Amino acid sequence: MNKQEQINKLVEEALTSFDDAKRAAAKPYLFTRIQARMNKEEESVWEKAGWLITRPAVAFTGICLVVLINAAVIFYSKATIQVTNTEVAVQNTTDEFSYTVSGIYDIENTQP
Amino acid sequence: MIEQLQQGDESAFKKLVDDWQDMVYNTALGIVKHADDADDITQEVFIQAYKSISSFKGDSKLSTWLYRITLSKALDHEKKKKRKKRFGFMQSLFGGDVEEQVLAAEFDHPGVQLEKKEKARELFNALNQIPGKQRIAFTLHKLEGQSYQEIAEIMNTTLYAVESLMGRAKASLKKELKNYYDNNIAEK
Repeated sequence: MNKQEQINKLVEEALTSFDDAKRAAAKPYLFTRIQARMNKEEESVWEKAGWLITRPAVAFTGICLVVLINAAVIFYSKATIQVTNTEVAVQNTTDEFSYTVSGIYDIENTQP
Repeated sequence: MIEQLQQGDESAFKKLVDDWQDMVYNTALGIVKHADDADDITQEVFIQAYKSISSFKGDSKLSTWLYRITLSKALDHEKKKKRKKRFGFMQSLFGGDVEEQVLAAEFDHPGVQLEKKEKARELFNALNQIPGKQRIAFTLHKLEGQSYQEIAEIMNTTLYAVESLMGRAKASLKKELKNYYDNNIAEK
């Protein structure tokens, strides 16, 4: 038998190797294991949430977000305070030097 | 039985598992070629079936519906495994386990006759090299004993398409096996 014939024979043997194969049986107590898995899945929703939060990447991102929000709040509140202070200063100067333009009516009807 | 399942009857669910567990396990095993993974997939299939039984309208047979879930889960599992394989080199650098790949190459189907085990192992390896649809059709026909008509229903295609798939599967397998034996005999 030459090499090509030998190869053809091996190929045919391989192709028919599944013939008469029996169905593989599942491992025992499958139903019990399925039930246990279903119960575990129900319980583990909160565990998964906890696990997710405690993952280093998620925890680090969370902390960074909190720090960023705090920094943003401080920055914007400072800017608002500065604007308010400037407005108060202008108002005080206006009051002190009586910048208010009086009309002819005010001059003629001066209060005692 | 389907009505009972849709009402959440536990005894009906147990019957479903008892009746179809070997079929689901054998199909999954034929695709993933790993006993523990196939067991895992079998559990997932029945959990999925229990959760989505309300969507089963009875247009197809219950077995066809279960085959579809099984194939979908098994193929998803394969995709995940392939994704892991891509990072296999990196994993091995960091001390990862590359043993799993070796195990897949040495898979022995428990239902294959003892004297045919070696040839079956070579056929399984060749099956890994051919396109997915051809592999599914061939596995369902040879390992599950499904007729072409039943395969057409499971794969949601025509009888003609299955016949064509099977023809191409056999041709592809012959080519792969010839290459394998050619190299193997030359080495000897």
